[in-house]
Amino acid sequence: MSTAHIAVVGFVVAAAAGCAPVLEAESPAPPGRRARLDRVEGFWGVKSYRVELSQGAALAVSCQRGPSCEHMTVTSDDPAIAEVRTASLALLRPNLYGGGATTTAELVIVGRAPGVTHVHVHAEQGDRDVAVTIIPQPGTPPT
Amino acid sequence: MRRLLGLLPLAGCAMGGAMHQAVLVGACADGDAACSRRHALAPIAVGAHFHPEVATEIAGTSTPNLHVESAAPDVLAHDGDALVAKKPGASAVLITTDDGSVVDFVHVWVAPVTRITLARRDGEHVAGLVGLAVGEDLTLVPTLWNGAQSLAGEAEATWTLVGDATFAMLPDGAADRRRLRARTPGKAILTVAMGDVQTTLAVEVVP
Repeated sequence: MSTAHIAVVGFVVAAAAGCAPVLEAESPAPPGRRARLDRVEGFWGVKSYRVELSQGAALAVSCQRGPSCEHMTVTSDDPAIAEVRTASLALLRPNLYGGGATTTAELVIVGRAPGVTHVHVHAEQGDRDVAVTIIPQPGTPPT
Repeated sequence: MRRLLGLLPLAGCAMGGAMHQAVLVGACADGDAACSRRHALAPIAVGAHFHPEVATEIAGTSTPNLHVESAAPDVLAHDGDALVAKKPGASAVLITTDDGSVVDFVHVWVAPVTRITLARRDGEHVAGLVGLAVGEDLTLVPTLWNGAQSLAGEAEATWTLVGDATFAMLPDGAADRRRLRARTPGKAILTVAMGDVQTTLAVEVVP
């Protein structure tokens, strides 16, 4: 494979990674608890996301890629650890690529029990995986 | 609608949702000053019931049918129309539509009771000695505390009167509230207890 081929393949992979939806936290952590969303960066940009959330806490997350994510569905590998719900946020977000605006696509992650699991976001614009760690409530004896 | 929601905090210490679309308040009658102590701005006392009322501000629509769910039922359970504080901690209270979609959520805290004080129904603090004439009524509401933090919720306390004065102790439409009617002259000590925590009030009845 020539250098030109490698460059083209690299560009395509980078473009594909860059075109996956962008997730953003839309709610703050309560005092003394964790509720944060972070990007997991790879060589080509954002590879995936990770969430650290306290048991009993909730985190709102928006999904967009240009316009808000279309036909978004969310699933959790283990809803007993991290439950996911779609959310209704009545907020218009501008489409940075094509102009206009669309209603925000949002999900809420709920920390049900301590543990680690994955949440999957699927939309017309692409998919995203989120590694979720639920931290026990302070004062909870370890199990 | 936005102005209406803006007034809710003044009326009863509303708790705004993390998504800025809904508020959670305690369900209280208009003008019930003592009830304002139960609003969810404060942590809910362990063992207490909190009756939530939700209001929303959603652009272009009236409020849809809403439900309330607890993220941590071992901390804050949802029982019928009430949130029941089970143990110290925090729980998100999800405000959802019929299909389970989340409109907003509020993190609500639960704390143990370390102190009880008594107040009249108008919210005025009552302590020490209270004098009543025969036939006079006194309505009392316990206020629950964790240190300097007042707690929300309606808790079932144990009310006992010991002394030579006699009273009728009447329910007053709320689980935590009692109306004392002085029957015969004398002195008595009123004790209001919740678990290991209690407070006392001396009451003297005159003819």
